[in-house]
Amino acid sequence: MNDAQTITVQVVGIEQVTPLIKHFKLAPVAGGSLPVFSGGSHIIVVMQRTDRVHKNPYSLLSSPSQLDAYEIGVRRMEESRGGSHFMHDAVKVGSRLEIAHPVNLFALDKIARKHVLIAGGIGITPFLAQLEDLHDGSVPYELHYSVRSAEHAAFLERLRRREGDKIHMYYDDAGLTIPYQELLAAQPLGTHVYVCGPAGMIKHVIGTAQTWGWPDSHIHWEQFSAPPVGDAFEVFLARSKVSVHVPPDQSLLESIEAAGVEVPYLCRGGVCGFCHTKVLELDGELVHNDHFLSEAEKAKGKSIMPCVSRAQGKRLVLDL
Amino acid sequence: MLVTGIKSKPVYAPLQVDTRGRYHLMLGMGVGGAPLLRVITDMRAIAAQSLLSTRVLFLPDSAATGVAAHAVQFETAGVADVQAFSGTPQLLDRFRTLLSQSLMGTRLYVAGPESFIGLAMKIALEFNLNKDEIRAEECGTLARRVYCIHCRATTENVRTNIVRCVGCDRWLLVRDHYSRRLAAYMGVMADAEAPGELPPIKEVFL
Repeated sequence: MNDAQTITVQVVGIEQVTPLIKHFKLAPVAGGSLPVFSGGSHIIVVMQRTDRVHKNPYSLLSSPSQLDAYEIGVRRMEESRGGSHFMHDAVKVGSRLEIAHPVNLFALDKIARKHVLIAGGIGITPFLAQLEDLHDGSVPYELHYSVRSAEHAAFLERLRRREGDKIHMYYDDAGLTIPYQELLAAQPLGTHVYVCGPAGMIKHVIGTAQTWGWPDSHIHWEQFSAPPVGDAFEVFLARSKVSVHVPPDQSLLESIEAAGVEVPYLCRGGVCGFCHTKVLELDGELVHNDHFLSEAEKAKGKSIMPCVSRAQGKRLVLDL
Repeated sequence: MLVTGIKSKPVYAPLQVDTRGRYHLMLGMGVGGAPLLRVITDMRAIAAQSLLSTRVLFLPDSAATGVAAHAVQFETAGVADVQAFSGTPQLLDRFRTLLSQSLMGTRLYVAGPESFIGLAMKIALEFNLNKDEIRAEECGTLARRVYCIHCRATTENVRTNIVRCVGCDRWLLVRDHYSRRLAAYMGVMADAEAPGELPPIKEVFL
């Protein structure tokens, strides 16, 4: 993926659906249809600010059969590096944005015998599109959706209207939590579980499923990490022969891109592994924040995912 | 005609206990009893409580002496539920019923000739069991099930590189191209371009 392949879209609708979540409709400026996608896909939205560029991943929540406009939900992050605040405060109906083609890193298993979907908060968005593929009823499914309180239950009316009793709601303020043990202890063979939500929820679902003997191939999760802030550091790109300064609130990938060097990427959230980069020299430590490298690979310090990970120390040389 | 070096040819490995599983379902045929007994013995050593959630479906091979005793050995080793069968279809019927009642967390272990493993895998696939839920160890005859791409009949127990199709009587060349869905190797007419001209017929799948 690089910026030559983006599509220019115009914001044709904005709705504040909860105190923290806005729902955007994006239509192609050139008219016609947007690229085909499957449920669970995300796009990268490129936000051109005067001082810097943000490229954030957002799940498509609209139906895969609707291609005149894409729909995304954006939660205002408390500790935003600027992307979600830009979407909430600066983007208006009529604004133009660049988006990258959809990529699916969170697809439904096509031959599953049953699907169990677990969403926490804004994590509901990929499921809204996936559910469109489940309506024909040929494969049983259930959706468990956990939110802080009723006013934070984004897209609930839309879900209720279409899914009926397949939805199970859990409100934190009513003391309701998803019964993970019961849910995962007795599912028929061939069931797949999908979870999207806060890091703690994902970890808990994976751990509980593994305790009950679920193999990894039946456990699916997606969490786009925002690149965490950290100390500033310098990086030298060996092939491009440039030195790049990475400020505290900018990611390594963003800094490299700002220096004019392209790195292939898909998710920009530490999930897909596409921006995997070789570390040639290191005097210091890597701060791995991705979900892609194994613990053993992280410990070796021979590679880094620049979209979310950083470094501390005197010297870092990358194979770029 | 490419016969070997085809990626779809299944690869097997010695059975090992998967202690992450909650339930263990084991299928064995003939000399496959020995690897099953080995894995059960391992299980008793490293995770004895797993034997309580282990079932064995076993098909003794009447031609081999001593093999029938495996069923008794499984029970002696502490397996909760051992069932012996008189034929492959009966065993596979029971297997299918058990899968329909099984829960996530089940691990499948299969030991026996490749054709037996293939038939078990075919059913496991219908229940969406993935590679990380199945272990298979091949032992016994390498005789193949061969699917005729011309008439779609399956010829059983093929030991030769060239075989006459039971369905259409064509001479088929047996390839390494394997279908998990059909649990069979592909057979392609061997003398289509020069009728009657066949390579030497040799016993290769023993």
